[in-house]
Amino acid sequence: MEYLLKSIIVAFQLIFSFDPAVYAVVWTSISISLLAVLIAAGFCIPMSLLVALREFPGKALLLQTLNTLVAMPTVVVGLLLYGLLSRQGPLGELGLLYTPTAMVMGQCVLIIPVIWSLGISACNSADPRLLTTARAMGANPVQQGLLFLNELRFAIMAAIVMGFGRAIGEVGIAMMLGGNIEGFTRTMTTAIALETSKGEFEFALALGALLLLVAFTVNGLLQRFQYLNK
Amino acid sequence: MSLIYQLNNIQYIYTTTPVLRIDEYSIEEHSVTALVGANGSGKSTLLNMLAFITEPTAGELIYAGEKMSSAHSTDCRRETAYVQQKPYLFNFSVRQNIELGLKLRGINKRLRRHSSDKIAEKLNLSKLLGRRAHELSGGELQKVAIARALILEPRVLLLDEPFSHLDKNSRIDIENLLKSLTASAAQTIIFSTHDVLQAQSLATQVCSLNQGRIGSSLHVNTFKGDLDVIAGVFKTSRLDIHVPPLFEAGSQLAIDSTQLVLSRERLKSSMRNQFQGRVVGLQELGGEVNISVDAGEIWQAIITHEALNDLQIEIGAEIWLSFKSSAVQVF
Repeated sequence: MEYLLKSIIVAFQLIFSFDPAVYAVVWTSISISLLAVLIAAGFCIPMSLLVALREFPGKALLLQTLNTLVAMPTVVVGLLLYGLLSRQGPLGELGLLYTPTAMVMGQCVLIIPVIWSLGISACNSADPRLLTTARAMGANPVQQGLLFLNELRFAIMAAIVMGFGRAIGEVGIAMMLGGNIEGFTRTMTTAIALETSKGEFEFALALGALLLLVAFTVNGLLQRFQYLNK
Repeated sequence: MSLIYQLNNIQYIYTTTPVLRIDEYSIEEHSVTALVGANGSGKSTLLNMLAFITEPTAGELIYAGEKMSSAHSTDCRRETAYVQQKPYLFNFSVRQNIELGLKLRGINKRLRRHSSDKIAEKLNLSKLLGRRAHELSGGELQKVAIARALILEPRVLLLDEPFSHLDKNSRIDIENLLKSLTASAAQTIIFSTHDVLQAQSLATQVCSLNQGRIGSSLHVNTFKGDLDVIAGVFKTSRLDIHVPPLFEAGSQLAIDSTQLVLSRERLKSSMRNQFQGRVVGLQELGGEVNISVDAGEIWQAIITHEALNDLQIEIGAEIWLSFKSSAVQVF
């Protein structure tokens, strides 16, 4: 117990000493996850609208597949993309393995099912009068989509935050596609894994606390946004 | 007068159930049409179709002389304004909701502001402009939805049961508004209601819907009895009513309440049906008066306030009720 308490104190000292090494890792994590979330959201939001509002053959299969992929282990995504991006793989010539780009790609693949699936659920939960009202008011298809998104902004935002949480907290993809290169692809989760294996428990704990702090801040911002828009 | 809508062999099938089937029906431009029918009679489905929200499963919908297809829908929707039975207001302020249709049409902010101020003043909504939509009461919400439709100055105004879920004052406000719109004849108005008398008092044309089909006529005075074909008389348990020699059988008689003529004295007229009765009810209805007369059976008639004063009608007053046998339908 004493050991744990001591570790927590050291962790807080590390956080408030503003050690550049710690914050470089934090920044790499946030920037990669944010970029992945932006790309995934840009794809998933219109696709969620499209899938929710249209009927087409294979829709049920698509929903079932998305729901399955939500639970996909990160190492499986890492493995698949490793196969594609490694020197012998079909995209090996691009030289993307062990770069932040590869990590962004991996995180996108990981969180697209999450945001897409939750986005579809959000659209399906909309008041059925919403679309007919938008149409009756003479909104063209793009305007209808924008009105729809505006009304569902909290649910859509929650889907995006969920995606961000999954991205920033994953370790399998970051490790396999990023390679945990210090100052380049080392993220909070890969650093935690590394420092724990080296026996640097305090450092790992400090990073863990920072990871929670980031998640807490993002959720706080979302709550604030919802409150202001009520 | 030109026709704004023509419906030819229109059908709408929901999953496998036909909910609307109209062989032929047309609506004149600048007219006021009431769709009357019970729940599930197809009123909302028909209004959705006339608002180009729902496409018919089969048949031809002609709008302003042009056959409708999905390609025309957005353009045509911009000529109509539709207030649904339970209007949906967006999670904006009242002003933003009212201005939304103009914004979607690319109207600039200054003009939008001017128009919303004007319409809000007309509908006594000025004080609500800054409120959020979800803070409104049922009557206020309905008024905002109507303001949102009227600001567009639509060619066709469609209202689905605009009087339901309203308190008495809000209902009177909206009835008066509809009256003033009717009087200006600036646009075609189509509204649905359960209330036959209200429909008759507000509309120039009443369309009765029953299980998705349009009825031939609208009746409010309906009595059960037996038809004596030879004598040309329909006998209820209390009255003998002359009918034209058109009917071969039937156990119900009906007459439109607007066909009844009221007078204090027996009329010297060719009308074969004249009954003396007593006024048992008076009710204000959209600027006119619904009178209930006990003349053996209870009859409902609609007259203007002016006629009410001229005839000096009051509860308990003796009155004569007359109508032509040709105005009667037996079925």
